[in-house]
Amino acid sequence: MTAAEAREAGEAPATERPQPVAGAGVETGSTPVTDPFAEPPAPNGRFLHALNPLAKLAAPLPAIVVLVVTRGLAIPTALLLLALAVLFVGARLRARTVVLLVVGLPPFVAVLGATLGVWVDPRSIEAGSPGASVVLIEVGGWQFTLAAYLIGLATALRISALLVLSLIAGLTTTGPDLVRALVQNLRVPYRVGYAALAALRFVPRFRHELEVIRSAQRVRGVDRGRGPVAAVRRTLAVSIPLLAGAIRHAERVALAMDARAFGAHPTRTERTLSRWRVRDTVFVVLFWAATAAVTWWGLAGR
Amino acid sequence: MTAPLLELDAVRIRHEGAARATPDGVSLAVRPGEVVLVLGPSGCGKSTLALALDGLVPHAVPAELGGTVSIAGLDSRDHPVGVLSAHVAMVFQDPDAQVVTGTLLDEVCFGPENQLVPVEEVLARGERALKLVGLWERRFDNPEQLSGGGRQRLAIACALAMEAPVLVLDEPTANLDPAGIDEVYAVLRELASTGHHAIVLVEHNLDAAVDLVDRVVVLDADGRLAFDGPAADVLRDHVDELLALGVWLPVSTLAALRLRAAGVALDPLPLTPSELGAALDARDELPAPRADALATTPNGTHDPAIRVRGLSVRRGGRRGPVVVHDVDLDVAAGEFLAIVGTNGAGKTSLLQAVAGVIPADSGSVDVLGLDPQRADARERSRRIGFVFQNPEHQFVAGTVEDELLVSLRLQGVPAAEQEAQVTSVLERFGLAGLRRQHPFLLSGGQKRRLSVGTALVAGAPVIALDEPTFGQDRERAAELLDMLHALHRQGTTVLIVTHDLQLVADYATRMAVMADGRVLGSGPTAEVLAGPMIEEAGLRHPPLARATRGLARHPEWHGVTRMSQLPASEGARA
Repeated sequence: MTAAEAREAGEAPATERPQPVAGAGVETGSTPVTDPFAEPPAPNGRFLHALNPLAKLAAPLPAIVVLVVTRGLAIPTALLLLALAVLFVGARLRARTVVLLVVGLPPFVAVLGATLGVWVDPRSIEAGSPGASVVLIEVGGWQFTLAAYLIGLATALRISALLVLSLIAGLTTTGPDLVRALVQNLRVPYRVGYAALAALRFVPRFRHELEVIRSAQRVRGVDRGRGPVAAVRRTLAVSIPLLAGAIRHAERVALAMDARAFGAHPTRTERTLSRWRVRDTVFVVLFWAATAAVTWWGLAGR
Repeated sequence: MTAPLLELDAVRIRHEGAARATPDGVSLAVRPGEVVLVLGPSGCGKSTLALALDGLVPHAVPAELGGTVSIAGLDSRDHPVGVLSAHVAMVFQDPDAQVVTGTLLDEVCFGPENQLVPVEEVLARGERALKLVGLWERRFDNPEQLSGGGRQRLAIACALAMEAPVLVLDEPTANLDPAGIDEVYAVLRELASTGHHAIVLVEHNLDAAVDLVDRVVVLDADGRLAFDGPAADVLRDHVDELLALGVWLPVSTLAALRLRAAGVALDPLPLTPSELGAALDARDELPAPRADALATTPNGTHDPAIRVRGLSVRRGGRRGPVVVHDVDLDVAAGEFLAIVGTNGAGKTSLLQAVAGVIPADSGSVDVLGLDPQRADARERSRRIGFVFQNPEHQFVAGTVEDELLVSLRLQGVPAAEQEAQVTSVLERFGLAGLRRQHPFLLSGGQKRRLSVGTALVAGAPVIALDEPTFGQDRERAAELLDMLHALHRQGTTVLIVTHDLQLVADYATRMAVMADGRVLGSGPTAEVLAGPMIEEAGLRHPPLARATRGLARHPEWHGVTRMSQLPASEGARA
């Protein structure tokens, strides 16, 4: 998710990133450095953008664990709403994203719930559970009961909640920000972090290359034939030129990075400091507390 | 004399697995402020030599280094690339493969940051470098939004930000269109004029580079040092030896050599179009130019092979931007048509829609009575073969032979006849000894020939090629064009998209000029090159046309755009 978002953010930075006013100071602690090129502070109230990316990754972690192990509708629903609330209040969202979350998410959950519910083994539903006797659809001897739908719905809600929780970091963090935080705050070796960042740039390139290879091979007439054997053959035929191109490209990028002193020293100059501030701690603690409260409420209400 | 910044002593480099060393025993020194051009035929190791100048050979490239490379007095073997990069900065061929970060500013700062330069100094360097290449205003843009020329200027800015006294550029314009080449050379010219940097340039596009360089170093095919001296002296005094070595000379020089053979000796030998023009104008009399052999071939008067009416093409699906607008185009059987235009003019989209590779949005295409948009691959490949820019993309089999068999099986050719057809195509394209080779293990030129062979094996009388000379040196490009020329003479209708106008001038019978998705016009090559359309489309005339267009005293020479129009000695190749 972060990868995709970083790319998306990277594709249209001119529109998303207002030109900073010369002399706009960057918040610094011990070393007062004025960076005229630093990104401007996020607009008031959109606090997520001003948080350390690590805080945005750490805060949803307990909620994610809860979602993985929990059952029932209450806890996923509450966590989903919590994540949505944080997102709507704290993030600068595009209109398209808002519409997608408000209008698109409920039907997505409903349909996904039905799709998953169909696959629920009827024997696993206890006879006494609510809705076990309410038959929604009956085809021949097969029954789709309300209970099965509720189980499917719970899973759909858990998936949606996981998705929205990951959007908290995903929609408000750029790849470079995350790499800076990992390197500066989490002491990940910068070679790993920046190499990953460079690799992110490969993705759109390979997507384009894949498209070209596919159409090149269509011209040769090898896209004919149906079935798994033809599919495997097609995939193989596409993957060889793609891999050959990828390896060559990676080698070139590596040479270019070496030539620019990448990895020459154990550390590198960081122009933009990534700091862990009080607000990051506050955000994480509040989010964890809210998660705990929701979980406690969900378990107690059972 | 100042101490050399770079000093090479008997440098031999053997790539892992290679039989011989290229370069082999090269000694030279580069001093502050010098602009050195490294020339040599394909495979002489000039790019490898460039990699040795900042220690990438032997540290990052698996190769064996003999002799010594001394960089600012440091032996490159004993110091890592990170240390040497403070003394030598590099710019590579592929602008896409040099971008690491998400904005131009981050990109120029990347190198100095790695060198642990303090923040204020990093920013100052970044600003200086971006301003020098004219990209400061775009510092917050994503490098992807720049044109090829823009990205290569960014790569130069990144190298400048390293604040190294030596700048090494390895074929910096090979992947660029003419506009991009001009952009890069404008920057290099400015750099050279300041004299702050020593510049080592590996380049095959001599027409762009020749007026910039002080000194030329020539390697021979075995990677040995053939010549080293002032640019004008080496190019003028050793011109015949250079030709024999397979070094590509400036078009203006080649034209002068041809004239010399015809008894028109120009002295000194011109190196640039303006020198050639001045030298021609200085003569009272010139022999009449030869009739344009290609234009008078009755080839182009046959039935139409391709008829395009009102063709529009969108990229990226039904709602994508329209990249080809309402194009009408006729191609007669037996023509050699070049579609030219700047990057983004819609040339490739037009060609792909004509060949049925991508769907058209509206309009009609007729290729020998068939609509390639509706036909299946089998029907289509019997009428028109399409060759992609990168031949590897089209390979689908494990051997050269199977590559051709795939196409024959698609046509339902009986097994008994397949063998004979494969053999004949392999012989025709000089691949007979490579039958069992994997296509990916062929050389660049062989791959290209195989891709043309697979496009024609089904018997298509029309072949379409998308930028077939992109990223190749002049030698490979000429080899390919010679092959297309031969096909054309055998009666194949050839369509090619390219931005190399001198190649167009020398080979194509007709040209179609595109700009902003529309065809501005088409006509016989000589007419188009003599008219205003080239400039309207934002292109530059090829070197020979540039030299002859401005002739004041010889107006009958204004239409001379291709080598074959120059007067030649008796018995010379037409």
